[in-house]
Amino acid sequence: MVDLRVTLGRLQLKNPVLVASGTFGYVREMAGFVHLERLGGVIPKTVTFRPRAGNPTPRTVETSSGMLNAIGLDNDGISHFREHHLPYLRTVGTAVIANIAGEDEDQFVAMAELLGQEPGLAAVELNVSCPNVSHGLDLGLDAQAVGRLVRRVKSACPLPIIAKLTPNVSDIVPIAVAAAEAGADAVSLINTIKGMAVDWQRRRPVLSYDIGGLSGPAIKPVALRMVWEVARALPQLAIIGIGGIARATDALEFMVAGASAIQVGTATFYNPPASENLLDELTGLLEETGVAAVRDIIGTLRSNRVPIQPD
Amino acid sequence: MNADPNAPAGASQRLVAVRENVAIARDTYRLRLDDPILARAILPGQFLMIRPAAEGADDPLLGRPFALYDVTTDAAGAPTAVDVVYLVVGRGTAALAQRRPGEQLSVWGPLGNGFGPPPAGPVIFVAGGIGQTPFLALGRWWLGKMSYGLQSKGLDPPCPGSAVGLSSSSSATLLYGVRTAALLAGVNDFRQVGIDVEIATDDGSAGHRGFVTELLARRLKQGERPARIVGCGPSSMLAALARLVEPFDIPCEVSLENHMACGFGACFSCVVPIRQPAGTIDLRRVCVEGPVFAASAVEWPASASPH
Repeated sequence: MVDLRVTLGRLQLKNPVLVASGTFGYVREMAGFVHLERLGGVIPKTVTFRPRAGNPTPRTVETSSGMLNAIGLDNDGISHFREHHLPYLRTVGTAVIANIAGEDEDQFVAMAELLGQEPGLAAVELNVSCPNVSHGLDLGLDAQAVGRLVRRVKSACPLPIIAKLTPNVSDIVPIAVAAAEAGADAVSLINTIKGMAVDWQRRRPVLSYDIGGLSGPAIKPVALRMVWEVARALPQLAIIGIGGIARATDALEFMVAGASAIQVGTATFYNPPASENLLDELTGLLEETGVAAVRDIIGTLRSNRVPIQPD
Repeated sequence: MNADPNAPAGASQRLVAVRENVAIARDTYRLRLDDPILARAILPGQFLMIRPAAEGADDPLLGRPFALYDVTTDAAGAPTAVDVVYLVVGRGTAALAQRRPGEQLSVWGPLGNGFGPPPAGPVIFVAGGIGQTPFLALGRWWLGKMSYGLQSKGLDPPCPGSAVGLSSSSSATLLYGVRTAALLAGVNDFRQVGIDVEIATDDGSAGHRGFVTELLARRLKQGERPARIVGCGPSSMLAALARLVEPFDIPCEVSLENHMACGFGACFSCVVPIRQPAGTIDLRRVCVEGPVFAASAVEWPASASPH
């Protein structure tokens, strides 16, 4: 019997298999496909302070082994989330991590404060990285702003805090350092990568928002690289790996690279029970490999590079 | 954007075998899937998602939505297979056309709301392009010739909302428009179950030369007043249909199609503007709140060009 429990800062999970915000609806949509209570946790779609209509269609387009999305944080706002979704989420039998996005720091803090008073939440994930809204969320590009935000949210909300970071930066490490120094319990890496699809005959971008966020198997190598970079720079910081994870082997690659947990995202769209199937496969693979506790494999990756010896 | 949950509680995913995948018109195929579970559960107007890629392959990545064409039953009348009819339009449907009998496909459903019970009196279906596909099962049900959604046919009582033909419509007519005659798919299937078919083609190669909505306009002008009109096809055609029917006091429903990544309400790709009872316009998911909407509730694009 493999011990699947993992710890991310103050957050303890019964297993490392989570589902990514924006790919699992408000969780109730998935109840027919997945035994929700088996998952390590669920993360419903991003909630904003006020309702947002989101972007016009087309909002998504398939690309090679991936997809672009520009949904634009379509949601009914924090009040509706608390009244309508939280009562259901409290019944799902696993850790519920709320994902929030503010147009500015104050909105993040206000939402975290409200959610901190709600029973039944395991943590709050800060979406400082959505590429599909025009203002406010760019603060994820600025290490100082991320640090300040995490610090303020932590003082306003007693729940474990996870910062979900954007890959759309030249170096993700300083952003992760800022989140860690501000006391984030974990960072989630990575949100979608900015991309574009073009209809050359119409001389138009395919998406109504022109650009979108790339997800799916196509982005896994980028996500692995970023998880590894952050894990090497910050061995004490808990990392949640995200990016093209569809199978147990994907999850194990992220975990040896330094992730303490993973999120199944786009795979749910094209294989609705992907997260639960992955958990079964993961358990089997670890048993076969003779691993007693999944936490023993976290960050065990060793570099192939031979260090250059100084003369 | 209101996330309300007409979540398809009965939906599930499985690998099923292809029984047939045969061409029935130009670029148009009928795919028959061995899936008794889905065949017992699905209702006319509901859809299923089919992933065209081989199991384990990442490209094409996503599933594609297909309306129920019909359910096949065995000699004892038990549902055994589900048919969909599709037009090859892109990478996904091109990959699907390559799949051979015996191969396994990942399928999830039943999805969406489906049509309501049969109206008493005559009904007219208006289809454009590949939009005829939901009307075979609907016609069979509404004419009282086939029951759908029986969990265990002949044994258990039907579950609430099942499409059992208790009362039925007096007649069904399909007005079916395509670009050219070679694209007409399944006309005999419709006629065999007692649906009258009238055809329009853009190039005049079969039936009326012109828009399918002109066939309906002529009938309305001649005083025909069906109990229900149902449309499925390109959005410009549906917008024209909604405008045409509006002055008459005839209930009109449309089955919408949209790009979908998941089919079950998780991705929020397939939203359309729907007028709410309070008069506001809200973006709603076609996959869970539709695909069937009242034509009068859809906020059609003002600039919709003639189809």
